[in-house]
Amino acid sequence: MKKIFITSAFSFCLFAVSYAQVDSAALPPVDKSPMDMSYYPVDYPVLKISDKVTEPPAARVIYGRPQKNGRPIFGSLVEYGKVWRLGANEATEIEFYRDVTISDKKIKKGRYTLYAIPSENIWTLIISKDTDTWGAFKYDIKNDVLRVPVPVIQVKAPVETFCMTFSKINSGCNLVIAWDNSKVILPVLFK
Amino acid sequence: MLCSILLYSCADTAKKNTPPRIQLKDTAIAQAESRANPYSPVDVSPMDMSYYPVDYPKLKMTKADNEPLVARIIYSRPHLQGRGLFHGLLSYGQPWRLGANEATELDLFKSITIQGKKVSEGRYILYSIPQQDKWTIVFNKNIDTWGLKPDSTKDAFHFDIPVTRTDNRIEYFTMVFEKAAPGANLILAWDNVEARLYFTF
Repeated sequence: MKKIFITSAFSFCLFAVSYAQVDSAALPPVDKSPMDMSYYPVDYPVLKISDKVTEPPAARVIYGRPQKNGRPIFGSLVEYGKVWRLGANEATEIEFYRDVTISDKKIKKGRYTLYAIPSENIWTLIISKDTDTWGAFKYDIKNDVLRVPVPVIQVKAPVETFCMTFSKINSGCNLVIAWDNSKVILPVLFK
Repeated sequence: MLCSILLYSCADTAKKNTPPRIQLKDTAIAQAESRANPYSPVDVSPMDMSYYPVDYPKLKMTKADNEPLVARIIYSRPHLQGRGLFHGLLSYGQPWRLGANEATELDLFKSITIQGKKVSEGRYILYSIPQQDKWTIVFNKNIDTWGLKPDSTKDAFHFDIPVTRTDNRIEYFTMVFEKAAPGANLILAWDNVEARLYFTF
C-alpha cells in the first residue's frame, strides 16, 4: 500500500510540474517591469470596499515599474537632460478626476501623459495631452500642457523598484516619485 | 483493489491541497524585493493593460494608428503557481473579479455593440460568474473600487459567453484583444479555459 501511495504522490508531482510549465506562446507574456496604479486618496479602491471613503477620488497614476537591478540609474541608465518616460512600456498616465492647480496653472479634469527631464538637482516634469502612447520615443513638445521644475531630494536607502504614489497635503496632494537614491514631489492643489 | 487505489490517490491529492512550490517557466518578475519598498511594494499579481486596436500605443508611436482608439482594459494577472483554476482558485457559480487587486477596468472610447447589445462609451469594471460551460461577464458602474465585493445593484450588462478548453495551459491570467471580422474579440484565458467577448463598432 505504501508503494501505491508513493507512486500516486510521484504522479501527482509529475502532473503538477507539467501543468505549470506548459504555457501558450500566442498570448502576451508578463512584463518585466510590471504595471501598477496609485490613487489619491491613497488606496481609494480599498477604502471604498471598506466603507471608509471620506473624499472622492482626485487623481490616479498608471505606470510601469522598472527595477534598479544593481545599475546606477540617474545620469546613467536615465540620462540627464533628455525626456524620460517616467516608467516603462506604455507612457505613464496621470488622470485628474477634477480640475486641479499645479504650479499656479489650472489643469482640466482628464487623462494626461507624464514625462520627466531629469538632471542632477532639478527635474522638469511635463504634463502632456498626448495620451495612449508608448514611452517617450515620440515625445512632442507641441502637446505640452505644463512643465514644472521640481528639486531632487536624495534618499538614504536606495529604492529598488521605480515608484509613484500620493500623499495628503493641505488642500491637495503630493505626487511622490522615487527611484534609486532620488525622489521628487509634485504638489497638486484642489482649487 | 482498483477502488482502493483510486480512493487512496484521491486522499493523497486532498492532502496536497497546499500547492507544491515548483519552478515556473515564466520570468519570475513577482518576487519580493530584497529591500522593502518604503512607498509601495511590488504586487505579486502584476497589473497590465491591453488596447484595441491591439498595441495601440506602439502603433501611435510609429504613426501606424490607422483605426481610432476603441477600448482599453486594465487588469491584474494572478498566476497558477501549481494550482488548478477550479481546484483551489475559483468555484463555479461564485463571482470572480477577473483579475486581482483593483477591480478590472474597461474603458470604451466610443459607444459600441458587445454580444449584440449597445454599450455606451465610458468606464466600467468587469467581473465574472464562471460556470462549467459558460461564463457570465458582468459590466458594472461601480468604478475605482477593489475587486472583491462586487455591488450587483450597479450592474449595467450581463453577457453569457461559452468557454472552450484548450490544450495549452496559461500560467498568468490574460486578457487581450484580437481583431475579428468585423470588430474584435476580448480574449479571456487562464489555465486551460478560454472565452471570447465579441465587440462590433
